[in-house]
Amino acid sequence: MPDRLTVELTVNGAPRRVEVAVHHTLLDVLRDQVGLTGTKECCVVGECGACTVIVDGLPVNSCLMLAVEADGHEVRTVEGLARVGQLNELQQAFLDRGATQCGFCIPGQLMAAQALLEKNPDPTVAEIHEALAGNLCRCAGYEQITEAVLTAAEAMRR
Amino acid sequence: MNGGRVGDSPRRVGGHGRVTGAQQYVADIHLPDELHVELVTLDCARARIVSIDASDALAVPGVQLVMTPDDLPEPMPRFGPQFRDRPILAVGETKFHGDPVAAVAAETKDAAEEGARRVRVDYEELPAVFTIGGALAPDAPLVQDPSLRPGDPLAGSNVLREHRYGWGDVDAAEADLVVENSYVFPMVTHFAIEPHAFIAAPDEEGLTIWSSIQHPYWLQRVIAELVELPLARVRVVAPDPGGAFGGKQHAKYEPLVAFMALRAGRPVRLVLSLEQTFQAVRRNSAEIRVRTGFRSDGAVTFREIHADYLLGAYADISDRVVGKGAYPGNGPYRVPASRIVARSILSHTTPSTAFRGFGAPQVNWAVESNLDEGARALGLDGLEIRRRNIAARGDRFLPYDTPADGDWQQTLDRAAELVGWDRPLPDGHGRGIALGIKLGPTTGLSHATVRFLGDGSVLVLAGTSDMGQGARTVFAQVASEELGVPLGRITVVSGDTHIVPYDQQTSASRSSVLMGNAILDACRDLHEQLREMAARADGLDPARVSVERGVARLPDREVPLVEVLKVGLGKLGGELIGNGVVRKEAEPDHPLGGTAAFYELNCTAIEATVDEGTGEVVLVRHATVSDVGKALNPMQVRMQDEGAAIMGLGHTLMEHYIYDENGRLRNLGAIDYRIPTSKDLPLEMVSEIVENEDGPGPYGAKGMSEGALLCVAPAVAAAVQQATGVTIRDLPLTPQRVWEALEERRRSREPEVVS
Amino acid sequence: MRSFDYRRPTSLQEAVALLAEHGPAAQVLAGGTDLVIGLRDRTVDPDVVVDLKWIPDLWPGIAERDGWLAISAGTTMSQISADPAVRRHFPALIEAADVVGSVQIRNRATLAGNICNASPAADTAPPLLVFGARVVAVGPDGRRTIPIDEFFVRSRVTTLQRGELVAAVELPVPGEPIGAAYLRLTRRRGTDLASITMCAAVERSGVARLAYGSVGPRPLLFTDESGVLADPSASDGAREAILERMLEPARPSPRSVRASPEYRLAMLRVLARRALAAAIQRLGGGA
Repeated sequence: MPDRLTVELTVNGAPRRVEVAVHHTLLDVLRDQVGLTGTKECCVVGECGACTVIVDGLPVNSCLMLAVEADGHEVRTVEGLARVGQLNELQQAFLDRGATQCGFCIPGQLMAAQALLEKNPDPTVAEIHEALAGNLCRCAGYEQITEAVLTAAEAMRR
Repeated sequence: MNGGRVGDSPRRVGGHGRVTGAQQYVADIHLPDELHVELVTLDCARARIVSIDASDALAVPGVQLVMTPDDLPEPMPRFGPQFRDRPILAVGETKFHGDPVAAVAAETKDAAEEGARRVRVDYEELPAVFTIGGALAPDAPLVQDPSLRPGDPLAGSNVLREHRYGWGDVDAAEADLVVENSYVFPMVTHFAIEPHAFIAAPDEEGLTIWSSIQHPYWLQRVIAELVELPLARVRVVAPDPGGAFGGKQHAKYEPLVAFMALRAGRPVRLVLSLEQTFQAVRRNSAEIRVRTGFRSDGAVTFREIHADYLLGAYADISDRVVGKGAYPGNGPYRVPASRIVARSILSHTTPSTAFRGFGAPQVNWAVESNLDEGARALGLDGLEIRRRNIAARGDRFLPYDTPADGDWQQTLDRAAELVGWDRPLPDGHGRGIALGIKLGPTTGLSHATVRFLGDGSVLVLAGTSDMGQGARTVFAQVASEELGVPLGRITVVSGDTHIVPYDQQTSASRSSVLMGNAILDACRDLHEQLREMAARADGLDPARVSVERGVARLPDREVPLVEVLKVGLGKLGGELIGNGVVRKEAEPDHPLGGTAAFYELNCTAIEATVDEGTGEVVLVRHATVSDVGKALNPMQVRMQDEGAAIMGLGHTLMEHYIYDENGRLRNLGAIDYRIPTSKDLPLEMVSEIVENEDGPGPYGAKGMSEGALLCVAPAVAAAVQQATGVTIRDLPLTPQRVWEALEERRRSREPEVVS
Repeated sequence: MRSFDYRRPTSLQEAVALLAEHGPAAQVLAGGTDLVIGLRDRTVDPDVVVDLKWIPDLWPGIAERDGWLAISAGTTMSQISADPAVRRHFPALIEAADVVGSVQIRNRATLAGNICNASPAADTAPPLLVFGARVVAVGPDGRRTIPIDEFFVRSRVTTLQRGELVAAVELPVPGEPIGAAYLRLTRRRGTDLASITMCAAVERSGVARLAYGSVGPRPLLFTDESGVLADPSASDGAREAILERMLEPARPSPRSVRASPEYRLAMLRVLARRALAAAIQRLGGGA
């Protein structure tokens, strides 16, 4: 009865082999086994988006994905956004536009926004609101987050 | 990019870690050999605990410890910032849904969870109270044992305390119109995205606690007393909280993990689930009766406020919330006579605590709504009646307190202008405007140490918790301004009671003012040392040297302070240490124990429309204006004002706890407790500030960050009233509630049809 | 969450054999957005979890065959939303798929999972009902199709038999234009579970269909062949009488935390009128 399984996945570009409990979520494994604690845990029912990561290019709630489901897939977390210590355009815009307050939701916001901009480099405000509607911010920096995504989109297009 | 001086908007200190994932919150910290804790709770509110059997739980592989009340000192240690009413674990009976009766520590989270499921608790459910009416009923079961409040004449009731304030002769006051109604404010919860997390680790000397806490020094004292260790042997490490909003001010489960760690001899960690945070913290709900007398020109002649606030099972700080929230209940107006009675009422519900606004949003909802009802009856609009009554600078509008400390009319007028008060309204739209004030801290004690290091860089030690408000950024700006050192060479250290000097608390929007001034004081201490250093270097009488804002002025030239320092320290190097302190002493004769350090004043103006079919309220425009004295960092001011405004939309439009008849929280968690998302924003939001540099903080700053939440509900309700003609006195204005009011209006307008 | 036996069949036969062997002790895993919540709060407590994502026959795909548009079981809400054929023929299904949770949820949640979970509030159920979809089930006795209206029983219960799984959902490609609109009632504008789901569809022939959910154990479908509902010039009285008959069976739960029965019943009528009006307008404008 296989209640543990070795999965092979790519995390932020690096291949990983991890033996996981089959009932552990991708969020559990990223935080507790891979040691990437940038991805946050809050509601664990797919409502808050704090655990958002990008799997095969798509933003998903890592709290609702079993780690075994990530076998063979490419996972990106907030730790993978910066390149050799250099913040990417989105991270920079979040800082410049004052989009981070307490910061706890920010990794999830960034990953959802990053996935949006990769698919849609020139989003409207309504498209940003839709893309980030699954990412709660209780500091309610929504206005600043939206501005940051617009700013980053412009920077990325240049 | 902006510079880093006061009035600029540099990037947030700590921002880099927040966008890279490197920022470590408590749950991200792991200690070698740690145990994971899970709480054992019952599926009801109040129950008599018959027995607890841990044998099955202890048989689960990995379970190391099952803590029950029997494992704790006798009598059960209790704690609480106002009343020592909260036990480490429920003793004898549980008091609310989620009150832990035991706790399991295990090698893994899975084992702790399984162990907690296997602790067998025999219990007998008991009658309980969940509403104000229920708690006040003559035969209501008592929430707290009277022995906890010896000598208290109210100990035999569920009224924890009654606060009475007043001035003038209400009964003799004349009025052309008297308006009296009751208003309801719901139970809402903080919903910080970071659930509370606690770690305790014993060492050879004592104990270290990690907590996402706003008041680490207060927690240090609580733990030291409970476990009987000196303060110097209890270290509290307080990483930046991931949102707090008042919910992380005081000890929650830190005492439990402290006792468990000491017993296990190993580090233990407890990270609450979001559901558990719903059972740990909430805002006081309230029913508030307001009776206001008006002259025909709109002038208020008297007001009575009777505010009943429903607390939870343990008081935490929430009775102080009641007293301090109700006291300025008349708002920023001249009210010649007033009588205020506010009661703290206990119930078998989630313990309530501080929450952004600290009791003021509840009473402001009631009083501002009542003011609008008066205005409508008199044929005045919401702006006019506020203009007629607003206090002018210097008015003793609260007779025993600090006089009005701003040109508040400016804030009112600006909000009206931003919402387009005088523009014609589209059909089906309405506008509302509301004012609110909240008192700053009434006492305080903040120490700061500023170390000017040998290379001219700076370490600021300041014990404020940076929970999103950006305290460290502002502190660095103050130090930069005073010492002439760029932000990139300044580090602000907080969150460790072994390293950073004492700070009473992070609350009441105090930090920019109190800790800001303490840092200013520490910088002035450095200035004095640098003045002597500069004089000594040039062989001058120190009286001939002056120092301010980064430079020393000598008779023949100006020298940057960094240069003075480097020359003065000489070959041996070293550093200069500046110490600062700000005390705001208690005033025992004052109704609140102290006057307000400042007032947070906000005016919010709303344009809204309502879907008459469904009752959905759509905010067309939301203007929020706060009098902040001086924005030390305008970007941070804006993000907090707009964030508070949107948070206010939560209790205004959608947030409320729903209990079942047995006191179980039915909308426990993120699926059925709704908070605003990016799609729930006003179609347009504008925020502005009034800056007259008239506050007591550095450079004329006042505290801010709570004000923009105070007025949202009354302004929205007034806009809904104008749009639809229906007056709603219960929050939140859910589509269902608005639809029900519209239905009532339709029924009352339509003649009965007999078919 | 407690542990379980995790299985990855690579063929339909293998999956069916597992499901037949374990019966109710087995749970199917597709997108997982409902299942993982259930596993965590133990409202679902299986011994075996059967992950369908290793079965090539179920991999995401939308294809037209013999007049039916077949959506494979592994197809997510996002994929449905992005599909040109669905957009051309069944835009109301996209309106429903687009409001299932957040983007993150829609990137995992499948249409098949949405109907197998059989929540009375499932967003995709009303459009599938008005479009006359059918469910392709594969089981120990082979393959069969179930009209969608015969599929739902109550929350988490469908007419799937032991050992059966959904391989695809198929929608009949309309020969004649259909005007359809999906609406829902929520407590906020952002992601939310619906307190009412409502889909209306009208055809040139005058046939009108109404399907709604969240007001009883399962979503319901009604058809009007009188032509009155589809006729924009019909009198209010005539239209209301038919709508009233269609809406009468609604029995909203008095225990819900989301909305009171009175409000739900009233909103059912508001949304029915609005959905119908939108459907009629789309039929006129779209053809």
